[in-house]
Amino acid sequence: MTTALILLPVGGALVVWLLPLRPFAVASTAFLVALAEVALWIDTLARFDFSRPGLQFDEQQSWFSDLHVSYHVGLYGFSLWLVGMSVVVLAAATGYAFWAGRDRPRAYYGLMLLLTGAIVGVFLAQDLLLFYVFWEAMLVPLYFLVGVWGGPGRLRATLLFVIYTMAGSLLMLASIIVLGISQGTFDLVDSGTNSSDWIFLGFVAAFAVKAPLFPLHAWLPETYRESSAEVSAVLSGVVSKLAAFGFLRIAIAKFPGPTADFRTPILVLAACGLVYGSLLAFRAPDLRGVIAYSSLAQMGLITLGLFAVNPLGLNGAVLQMVNHGLISAALFLIAGAVERRAATGELQALGGMARGRPALATVLMTTGVIALAVPGSSAFAGEFAILAGVFTTGWGYAVVGAAAIVFAAMYMLRLISAVLHRSPGRAVTEAALDLRPAELGIIVPLVLCLLVLSAWPAAITERSFPTGNTLTELAGSR
Amino acid sequence: MIAAAWICLISPLAATALITVGGNRLSRRGAGFLSTFSVLVSFVAAVVAFVALLGDSPSRRYHPSTLWSWLTAGNLDFGLRIVVDPLSVMMMLIVSGVGMLIVLYSIGYMDGDDEERRYFAYMALFVFSMLLLVQGGNLLMLLVGWGLVGLSSYLLIGFWHQRPEAVSAAKKAFVMNAIGDATMALALFLLIQKTGSLNFEQVFTAAPSFSNWTANLVALGLLGGAVAKSAQLPLHTWLPDAMEGPTPVSALIHAATMVTAGVYLIVRTAPLFEQAPKVLELAAGLGAATLLLAGLIALVQVDIKRVIAYSTMSQIGYMFLGAGIGAYPDAMFHLMTHAFFKALLFLAAGIVIHALAAEQDIRRMGGLRKLMPLTFVAFLVGSLSLAGIPPFSGFFSKDSILASLLANGWYGEILWVAGMIGTFLTGLYAFRLLFIVFWGEPTPFVREHFHAPKRDVPGLSMAVPVGVLTVLAAIGGFIQFANVWTPITDWLEPVARPLVEASGTQEAVSSIIAVTLGLAGIGVAWVLYGSRTSEVPRLAWAQTLLERKFYFDEAYDLAFYRPAVFVAKGLARWIERPLVFGSVRELAQGVGLIGRDTSRIQTGLVRTYALAIAASVAVVTVVFVAVR
Repeated sequence: MTTALILLPVGGALVVWLLPLRPFAVASTAFLVALAEVALWIDTLARFDFSRPGLQFDEQQSWFSDLHVSYHVGLYGFSLWLVGMSVVVLAAATGYAFWAGRDRPRAYYGLMLLLTGAIVGVFLAQDLLLFYVFWEAMLVPLYFLVGVWGGPGRLRATLLFVIYTMAGSLLMLASIIVLGISQGTFDLVDSGTNSSDWIFLGFVAAFAVKAPLFPLHAWLPETYRESSAEVSAVLSGVVSKLAAFGFLRIAIAKFPGPTADFRTPILVLAACGLVYGSLLAFRAPDLRGVIAYSSLAQMGLITLGLFAVNPLGLNGAVLQMVNHGLISAALFLIAGAVERRAATGELQALGGMARGRPALATVLMTTGVIALAVPGSSAFAGEFAILAGVFTTGWGYAVVGAAAIVFAAMYMLRLISAVLHRSPGRAVTEAALDLRPAELGIIVPLVLCLLVLSAWPAAITERSFPTGNTLTELAGSR
Repeated sequence: MIAAAWICLISPLAATALITVGGNRLSRRGAGFLSTFSVLVSFVAAVVAFVALLGDSPSRRYHPSTLWSWLTAGNLDFGLRIVVDPLSVMMMLIVSGVGMLIVLYSIGYMDGDDEERRYFAYMALFVFSMLLLVQGGNLLMLLVGWGLVGLSSYLLIGFWHQRPEAVSAAKKAFVMNAIGDATMALALFLLIQKTGSLNFEQVFTAAPSFSNWTANLVALGLLGGAVAKSAQLPLHTWLPDAMEGPTPVSALIHAATMVTAGVYLIVRTAPLFEQAPKVLELAAGLGAATLLLAGLIALVQVDIKRVIAYSTMSQIGYMFLGAGIGAYPDAMFHLMTHAFFKALLFLAAGIVIHALAAEQDIRRMGGLRKLMPLTFVAFLVGSLSLAGIPPFSGFFSKDSILASLLANGWYGEILWVAGMIGTFLTGLYAFRLLFIVFWGEPTPFVREHFHAPKRDVPGLSMAVPVGVLTVLAAIGGFIQFANVWTPITDWLEPVARPLVEASGTQEAVSSIIAVTLGLAGIGVAWVLYGSRTSEVPRLAWAQTLLERKFYFDEAYDLAFYRPAVFVAKGLARWIERPLVFGSVRELAQGVGLIGRDTSRIQTGLVRTYALAIAASVAVVTVVFVAVR
């Protein structure tokens, strides 16, 4: 069953590539497959036993038996939530592409589905080599999606993205090989813990590039600006969470010693990223820039929670991963919708869009205030737990984080007002329509997920780590 | 009782949801009535809860209720929890009662606005948030309500979002309140670390065992939130700007309910503050400073709403004085009467603004007494109450606070002097406003633009709340008469037992002096602005200082905003640009170099390849062996 979560989108990709379908049929097939994937996830959710610790629905097939490499997939509570967030965001992204229309649809939607399968695979993989295979399989479609369907500056963006992620991947591959060999198995569940600083740092570097963490984010602004809206949504919403997932599943769980040793520098970098991203978001001249730098800040925040390594921090981080996935996806899709109408994302040229466009105003305002973590929102719950968690590690981090709450209010309100308020900007014409039903049908479900989570964030925090000592359990038996 | 409390909380939220989803299918006036009705339901439910609570013996009036776990981690569990006790019920009654009147008034006031539905959805959202704030059964829920009232305040200040001033005022209010939220959150983190809970009972029980540091830091963090929300020094600059919102919003949020939340917070968390007496003294000191500063600034304001806004700051200063010295019931009593008379003043001002084609500059007003006699009576009652003239409500509540100060040692006496000066200022600015707007002959502007309020449904919806509030402002103070009958003190006894109580003599002396000073202020106002027998004295530098509001805005701009912008620009220029562009250039060069170098390896000679392969294998083997 778990394998089906991977096979369904990959199979969909093959169908799209192999069968001679018309463009419309291609797009609708892809969208239906993405929706079916969500349904499959809901089914898994319904059958998941949250009271039971340990891996569930695991499936194992020997692969290279002498190296103890196997095809091993399965789900933990927290990975289930991350998979859910990912398939929802990917379905929204596919739906948005369907609505907006993309040229060379067979290639495009095939890549989109392949990406879905690979991302889900990363979350499910319980074997280091398998993890790496899915990780790389995810990057390849991304290179094409950014490089072929992106904006005018896409080539430079792709170059940066490819080189940074390749360098990260190489470090990870080296770390995986050394770790697998020194532990005698590549299986994540059985491999036990390791105390090598170098292997740990290799993983951390790889994930820090992908997240990205300050100062390894040079690829981020260009890539998020030049990709099409839905690809940016996937990049900042989902792909960055894979890195955070990697921190949790591999770096922290497998390397308790090095984690403790390197905690301070990592927390400091994360806090720097949080403030740095917030300040740059506050001055960014365009929609995408604000969202991109706010993503950088949020990844810093999530890293703070993870490396607090206590229940509050970890639960908060998982909750915030889901929140931020949904928030930044919704924001990028809204940004895409605004850019379609105004032909620009420059904040100076926008404005006054609230008048006569109640749906756009309501959706952007709701998403925006959740993004700035207004108390009572799910993002607030996540931030609160993260900062309360890191407070016990060092109160200074929490103070920095609390300051970042204020900055978040500043940059998010600036974005909201720049789009919606004051008199219409020069790029906003009377003819610019309100959000169309199709756009609402894609964006509103994301917002609804956020509202439900706002009423009940414990849905995730109660169900991510069923036992108190999950980290020992994630570390494995050896 | 618990069910009533939940209904009270949920009803306005349901109205918000219905209006948002309903959109155009709901008529504009329908949205108004739905919103009013939902708050009426809240009020009825609050009354039910109140009556039910009366049935309990005083020591058992504490009923928490948890709907579900809101946030959990390990063995920490913060529930979606409310608490019904005397304090929360008192606030529920004030919030939903005054709220209902003001939402009803809005039906008339907002009649014909393009986006009435959005307005009423926001209003209902505000009432929900405020009820959550006062009903919240742990500090996290309190903080959630705290933030949500800030959000609704932002939405409503910026309601007319095409006006740049409204948008900036809304942002300013939100950001300043976010500072308060942040310090509160830090206090909560500390409490979680020390007690593992945020429920009032657990936290209060643990409070006496806190170290000095912990107690002071927690109290300071909470005070930061209180000061920001209640527009006290030094986080007060947002409130006058918030007057950009529609007038009923100013009446409900920026006078009657939300801005007094800081006082509620201090009273609610009194056991925490009492562990940090220095912080309580600081709160009282900030209150005294604010009441003087705001009273002075109010003297020179020319916008009718801003005068009342500064008067709100000043009156909340009195409440902080009361709460800061531990006279909790007096502070809550003043909170209640202030809700009546200040809402009344704003709503009456709203009628004036309506009748004068949205003009708010009092220099163009005059002589309205003859044109709007009823509004004049309402405004007069509000002003007398504000100035603390018996038998109007403000007299009873303000004088108990002042008298309690006398019972609080030398620090209390200093604060008492400040409060007394404030009383004089209050009489002066309140009646300066009244005389300028209503006295004398109608000005040319008034003659040209005045049109009488209509006597139709919207007109009625405005008249009824003003009438009710006039009555409440006139007689509401008789609920409690210090040292004679004290139902509010008795009612709040189980939650907030006062630390000080004034003697009968202190009450009498303090009252006589306060009323004399208030009357003196009114007298001066009469001479200067009523009969105009004397010229207004001018002191150029003082005038400028007050008109510039003591240069707080300029100072904050210089101290915080500009450095933030400067740092952000600096980071973008000196770190971000080199990082992004630098890496592009170097990567491109690097890739080029590597490509050129690696192409040399491609010699086409089989022996070179074989050597390379053999060497690689050797290296890999060595690495493998070494790692094992």
